[in-house]
Amino acid sequence: MKKDVISMHDLTLEDIQCYLKTAGIVEQIPLEERFRLLTGKIMASLFFEASTRTRLSFEAAMYRLGGNVIGFAEQGATSVSKGESFSDTIHTVESYSDVIVIRHPKEGTARHAAQISFLPVINAGDGTNQHPTQTLLDLYTIIKNFNKIEGLRIAFVGDLKYSRTVHSLLQALMKFKVNEFMLVSPESLRLPEYLKKVNMGFPVTFVETKKLEDAIPYADIIYMTRIQRERFPDDIEYEKVKDSFCLNANMLKSAPEGLKVLHPLPRVNEIAPDVDSTPYAEYFAQAKNGLIMRQAILLNIFEVEI
Amino acid sequence: MSNKKIQMIPKIRSGIVIDHIPAGDGVRILEILERDPRMKNVPVTFGMNYQSNKLGAKDMIKIQKDDLSERTIQHISLVSPGVTIKRIRDFEVVEKVSVQPPHELINLLKCLNPGCITQNEPGLKTKFILTDPARNQVTCEYCERVFSIHELSPII
Repeated sequence: MKKDVISMHDLTLEDIQCYLKTAGIVEQIPLEERFRLLTGKIMASLFFEASTRTRLSFEAAMYRLGGNVIGFAEQGATSVSKGESFSDTIHTVESYSDVIVIRHPKEGTARHAAQISFLPVINAGDGTNQHPTQTLLDLYTIIKNFNKIEGLRIAFVGDLKYSRTVHSLLQALMKFKVNEFMLVSPESLRLPEYLKKVNMGFPVTFVETKKLEDAIPYADIIYMTRIQRERFPDDIEYEKVKDSFCLNANMLKSAPEGLKVLHPLPRVNEIAPDVDSTPYAEYFAQAKNGLIMRQAILLNIFEVEI
Repeated sequence: MSNKKIQMIPKIRSGIVIDHIPAGDGVRILEILERDPRMKNVPVTFGMNYQSNKLGAKDMIKIQKDDLSERTIQHISLVSPGVTIKRIRDFEVVEKVSVQPPHELINLLKCLNPGCITQNEPGLKTKFILTDPARNQVTCEYCERVFSIHELSPII
């Protein structure tokens, strides 16, 4: 049976732990040995929506495993812009490749692709819904820094309404029995209620605040997010909230030792450049972990023993 | 006057009786029946607000047609879970079932999320999972949004 990676909902705790373990092993394999693992395989990289890190890290992950990549970086360059249906695009691409990586602005598109294709499908982001590979690399970054997940105190900051990375990571952290979160957002970008309704079999507490300063003494991890202009129905609403939170080095002077600041990137104004050189900044290492985790996912899909 | 002597809507020789409908839900079930093209020209009688020991007040629908489609029954189970559907032959009840919503709701409801792929890809059937029957909550298999069944429009 083919393996798809569509949603964190589909992954059990054991599945997630397997990916984390595989990533740890992959990181130890010398680059020249990794280069032989997926020779002859082709990854279709279908990005119907713009992306830098996710697309480039997937493509780099595949090239550095010895595989090849075909695809597109925007919908305008495809036959979809000529009116081709989504399912026709998928059926065409599956003739040329061994795995499909897809990003699309509509929620549920990766699930639909997985249902209609005989190839394994990896969701690289579907609208505001899921971004499971980002979640797995976030978890890998957390494990590398703290060597545990359960019991950590995590504050999510910024756009908690539209950020799929927040939604996916929150659900995954609950699987690791994290049961308290701080949510820092403007009123209009609060975490949707449906994400708080999940029945995990234990109570989960959400501490909501509008002050970023509240998170600094509270958290082991501050997970910053960008206010996403492209998710707003109109620019006026975006302008009202775009600079709601800005973390700078001065604010972190009183931060507890060991605090880590994560961000799925790209950032705009929410983390000042002077944070980059502090020991709290972990976001560039997080981006680097993305390549490792995506290699782990590809190797798992192709059942390569390492 | 005792409850037993209250004149109910007339018995039917053959057909379907939908009973134990909580008062008020009957109209919504009629709307479902009306949208089913196979119900055209079928005689239907409808009673409202009868006394009921179990429900306090109930509605009842009698349909002079031998069966209802599975989809229609599924829709009824969504708007009013727990109603009883009785099959009548020669004025006698020959079969009686209490209907409950199915676990998987395939192409029965329209997703409310305008960003969901089911709203944007022609021909793609919607699919919801009944994730919390006690609260009538369903989750869209595609966009993963959680909705109350009553928020969603039926696909007839």
